[in-house]
Amino acid sequence: MAEWRQYYQNEDDEVEEDEEDSGGDYKISGRDSLVFLVDASKEMFIKSEDGETSNFDMTMQCVRSVYTSKIISSDKDLVALVFYGTEQSKNPRNSFKHVYVYHDLDSPGSQRVLDIDKLLGEKGAQFAEKTIGSGETSLGEALWCCSNLYSDIKLRLSHKRLMIFTCRDDPHGGDGAKDRQARTKAADLKETGVVIDLMHLTKPGGFDVSLFFCDIVSPPEDESELGLQIEPCRKLEDLQKRVRAKELKKRSQSRLTFSLGEGVNLAVGVYVLARTATKPSAVKLHRDTNEPVRTKTRYFHAHNGGILLPNDMKRAQVYGKKQIVMEKDEVDEIKKFDDPGLVLMGFKPMDRLKLHHHIRPALFIYPEEEQISGSSCVFTALLLKCSEKNVFALCRYIPRRNTPPRFVALVPQREELDQSQTQATPPGFNVIFLPFADDIRTLDAHVGPTASDEQVDKMKEIVDKMKEIVHKLRFKYKSDAFENPVLQQHYRNLEALALNMLEPEPIEDLTMPKVQMMDARLGPLAQEFKDLVYPPDYNPEGKPAAKPESGGGAAEKKPKAEISEEELKNHVANGTLGKLTVPVLKDACKQFGIRTTGTKKQELIDALPIFGRE
Amino acid sequence: MIQLLSYRKSLRKMSQMQLFFSCVCFHLSLSVILCLQSALVLCMDVGFSMSNSEPGQEPPFEQAKKVIQKFVQRQVFAENKDEVGLVLFGTDGTKNRLAKDGQYENITVHRHLMMPDFELLEEIESELQPGGQQADWLDALVVCMDLLQQETMGKKFERLNIVLLTDLNVQTSADQLDVIINSLKKAGITLQFFLPFPLDGEDRADGGGDGPGPSAASARPGKGLSSQQTQGLEMVKNIMTSLEEEDGLEEVHTFRDALEKLSIFKRIDRRPMAWPCQLTIGSSLTIRIVGYKAVTEEKVKKSWTIVDAQSHQRDDVKRETVYCLNDDDETEVQKDDTIQGFRYGSDIVPFSKVDEDQMKYKSDGKCFSVLGFTKQELIRRHQFMGSQVVKVFAARDDEHAAVALSALIRALDSLKMAAIVRYAYDRRSNPQVGAAFPCIKEKYECLLYVQLPFMEDLRQFTFPMLENNKKFTPSESQLSAADALIDSMMLVEKDEDGESVDVFKVNHIPNPQFQRLFQCLHHRGVNPDDPLPPVEPWLKRALERPQAVSARCQAPLQDVKTKFPLKVVVKKKEQKTSADVFGSSADEPDAKRVKVDEEMEFNLAEIAAGNITSVGSVNPVRDFCALVRQKTVSFDQACQQLTHRIEQLLGNRSPEYYMKSIACIQAFRDQSVSMLTDGLEWCGLLVDYCDVFISCLDSRSDGTHSLQSIHW
Repeated sequence: MAEWRQYYQNEDDEVEEDEEDSGGDYKISGRDSLVFLVDASKEMFIKSEDGETSNFDMTMQCVRSVYTSKIISSDKDLVALVFYGTEQSKNPRNSFKHVYVYHDLDSPGSQRVLDIDKLLGEKGAQFAEKTIGSGETSLGEALWCCSNLYSDIKLRLSHKRLMIFTCRDDPHGGDGAKDRQARTKAADLKETGVVIDLMHLTKPGGFDVSLFFCDIVSPPEDESELGLQIEPCRKLEDLQKRVRAKELKKRSQSRLTFSLGEGVNLAVGVYVLARTATKPSAVKLHRDTNEPVRTKTRYFHAHNGGILLPNDMKRAQVYGKKQIVMEKDEVDEIKKFDDPGLVLMGFKPMDRLKLHHHIRPALFIYPEEEQISGSSCVFTALLLKCSEKNVFALCRYIPRRNTPPRFVALVPQREELDQSQTQATPPGFNVIFLPFADDIRTLDAHVGPTASDEQVDKMKEIVDKMKEIVHKLRFKYKSDAFENPVLQQHYRNLEALALNMLEPEPIEDLTMPKVQMMDARLGPLAQEFKDLVYPPDYNPEGKPAAKPESGGGAAEKKPKAEISEEELKNHVANGTLGKLTVPVLKDACKQFGIRTTGTKKQELIDALPIFGRE
Repeated sequence: MIQLLSYRKSLRKMSQMQLFFSCVCFHLSLSVILCLQSALVLCMDVGFSMSNSEPGQEPPFEQAKKVIQKFVQRQVFAENKDEVGLVLFGTDGTKNRLAKDGQYENITVHRHLMMPDFELLEEIESELQPGGQQADWLDALVVCMDLLQQETMGKKFERLNIVLLTDLNVQTSADQLDVIINSLKKAGITLQFFLPFPLDGEDRADGGGDGPGPSAASARPGKGLSSQQTQGLEMVKNIMTSLEEEDGLEEVHTFRDALEKLSIFKRIDRRPMAWPCQLTIGSSLTIRIVGYKAVTEEKVKKSWTIVDAQSHQRDDVKRETVYCLNDDDETEVQKDDTIQGFRYGSDIVPFSKVDEDQMKYKSDGKCFSVLGFTKQELIRRHQFMGSQVVKVFAARDDEHAAVALSALIRALDSLKMAAIVRYAYDRRSNPQVGAAFPCIKEKYECLLYVQLPFMEDLRQFTFPMLENNKKFTPSESQLSAADALIDSMMLVEKDEDGESVDVFKVNHIPNPQFQRLFQCLHHRGVNPDDPLPPVEPWLKRALERPQAVSARCQAPLQDVKTKFPLKVVVKKKEQKTSADVFGSSADEPDAKRVKVDEEMEFNLAEIAAGNITSVGSVNPVRDFCALVRQKTVSFDQACQQLTHRIEQLLGNRSPEYYMKSIACIQAFRDQSVSMLTDGLEWCGLLVDYCDVFISCLDSRSDGTHSLQSIHW
């Protein structure tokens, strides 16, 4: 059964911790920061034509979703929420009028989410009116205030972004001095590395970026980017999408050389666009103070108690009675085949990429002009030609030093834009990992019954019926449509504990089939299909009588895994403990009173020889 | 016990043989001990003809020995529980149960069925020598069958296999072939042949090299076989096709193949565990299914333990993990005094294991429930998640389920759609959302299940456009150079029959990591004092571009080289020199530096309010800077305190500590320079610490890696 565990149980001890955490570790390189600078003028509170949501409400919903997603995905990032054009003023030294710092730059926590909730909806508008109000506008002051927020941060900030949410294209109403001040302050901010984006919202008569904001925002990443021509956001969904696309700093996992051979090398950045999000690991806290504690690991000599330095230790494996010893360096060297990089082997038609050759989530590569100039041009030429000829590139891939190679398929992906001219798929190559011979299991395929002629007709009828069923239940799959219920529940639990709620908010488990709706859509089809396929006495839900219930039942019936002392001694003497299963080893430990802390097989095996010697 | 004697010379004994094998079947069906392992007999020809070879070529004997070594090596180091026996024929001596009256001579059972161990490897290395005799390979086959029969009695093996390595260069008597084939069939024994030459004459003529690298150096390229060999080859074909019909010949390999493609292992591979479940569509439509893991990333299973460098004793090394508070003294805390918590944004929420288990998401057991159907094109290949592909079949021996599932598979296939399903392996495992694609093969049909991403797994990055970007748009001539390069590097070629052949099948290459690890373990085990051997040439070759392709793409590559200007930009971050660590003033405008200083001063003003009196360990840099500014203690004292902290930090082996100490050294340097104190002091310290620091970094392989990831 263990084979089927979804999550690979890492049996390696900490020495072997070389498994890639494909997300990379950003902590050391500094924090990302994001400031929401939101217009709080009267215009923002005007409800849209359909009377549903105001621009302000939409912005707050968007901010809230960023807060909650940051909590889950990047809890180290700093976020601030600042209103401008307010009646009230609130900022660190209260030196700026009509600027209200609702949230200082900090990592978002549960309290902040609640704070945002107060600003949502009809009640939220009233609350906003009361606490911040709408007043005079000076974007210059607001930007100045934001720049102070940044400079007050003592942490190293790796990426600074400021998003302006507004529906007014001429905020100062023609006041040239204020316009100038805003431009100067924006320039100052950009000078210190802050990227300024405009999230402009709908305004009757259209939002004219060229009036004022074109001088405020940062120039797009490359001149050809459409950037400012984008239509203003009408829908929350659009706004969220646009914010989400900008909110995360794209960061490459690594930069590598992509060698075409004969010294023709280009540089590419490797990006992770999808990786399994898991529950973050627990933090150890001091029982009395709830203060986090850190762990320190040391090795020392069992007899003389001296601290062992790396050179005082070696690595060993035992096979039977044979111990094989190597230096740590040698263990690393074994894994080294070549320097990190991508090496082109050749090309294959796309149909040679088998659907079932899947072993890991894919990566994405994009040229790195800063490392080798000219990379983008070769890359683009290859991308265009691969895509035109419908081929993929086969490469040998070594991600890091002392890592064995894997073969990957580089599948061309050309840029696609959605209706609102936002990038839906980026241009570049998807990196698909290919299995080695070892990764493919031999299966005994089940050979189905061969149909006779009359059955062929019947089969056609059955297949047609199934087609109707499939047709009734079709939907448009979107990769971001499903939330992970395990993670969502975990965070709801934390939220409940953090905010002293009586019980966590219930989650909607999107992975559950909507059975009632499906039944309603199918109508009589399901029964008709069953009538065609299953005889009246057939019960597909029951198990065949002859076979015992799998799972719990089978486990009980199994004779208790026990082993005699003599057998065990033999195994110890012959070094064949590895033959025994984990439960047997555990029982053996228990039976002979050997205390083990470990539950992994190796730990159990290592514990048992103590018994052999006594 | 039935004695099997020289049956091959008399009809009477032939019936005995049949009787014997029906007994095998009887035994097997009665067996009560269930073990899902395989038993395999390696049967190697060591007769004198195996030592003959063309000058400059490796004799077949050596090649065959390597195959056996590789196989046993893998079995030993992967700790497979399969049992392996070794039978040699053509030996000078005779040692087998059947030898009597001049029958079955020169056949030696070298090792009975048992788990292969390191001793076997050593034996093969030292004791496996060419013999001076020749023996009939059919006789040897019978000895192997007898061995399997005798030694698997009372145990049930999932698979029984015999591997014959021979050059077929001996007169055999084919008269009992049918009996042998029938007996093999009855006992369910599978056969594999490994020969020095390929099965087909044509392939032989051109070296038969369809693998990567130079064409196979088979024993006698271009040369005819002896009459015995031709006759033997016919018999091999005869046996293999009668055992397995059309697929039989796939199990006849060359020695070379065997090395590079793990051919032997495929036969005795453990079959993946069956996962019975029900596919549900809505509340009432249910199909009984069974899933198997078909593709998954195999990892190295055995881990390294840490031993003392002198004694090589594991028990001499003790590992201690201590918990400490994040304060200046790093106060130690007992493990029992710690509780578990989780970060929720900026908050840390105490959340005990018990509470966590009670409140966590609970799934209601295994399932394979259809959520709906969608167009296959909406599921992007690069969004496949997880590390496996599951093949889903109808439950065994349930024709109704088979028809129902078949209908689903065919319906999906003709509509080019896939099912989106909720998949949960069991009650304890996390549910997944995935896609089930229809898969229709000549011999079977199934659903292929792959996990798909959750919303939380995806990252939306926007990249600057490449096409229509004036700077990067390739010219027509550049495009045609890329076009020519692709054409010259196609790894799929047309053979004479116009069928396209893949010349570089990744799924036929064994994972080099395993091969290399086993080679090194083997080498070190046999020669404890030798340095590690180099990577084996064949393995290196298997990882390189095929030679033919390399040769073909020469000219187009040169063309690409001349048409695309590629220039390495001088990298700043590659090497950590002091200039990188401390920032060189050359590439930063002065104005910017002033700005940074201003900011710092501003911060310090606030810090000063906190009244810092000494350099703590939490934020030594801040404390140090504050002390220097406040001038409450002398600069020397502040420096002393800081150096003390640096020493402490370097005593711990963890990247965070290294980072902190680098920051300290950096601050020390900055302050020293700005205080205009004697630069000598600074130099002295730097020399001291750099040594320590570098040695610390070296001791961790990832130290440099983490260093490189910092933006200085």
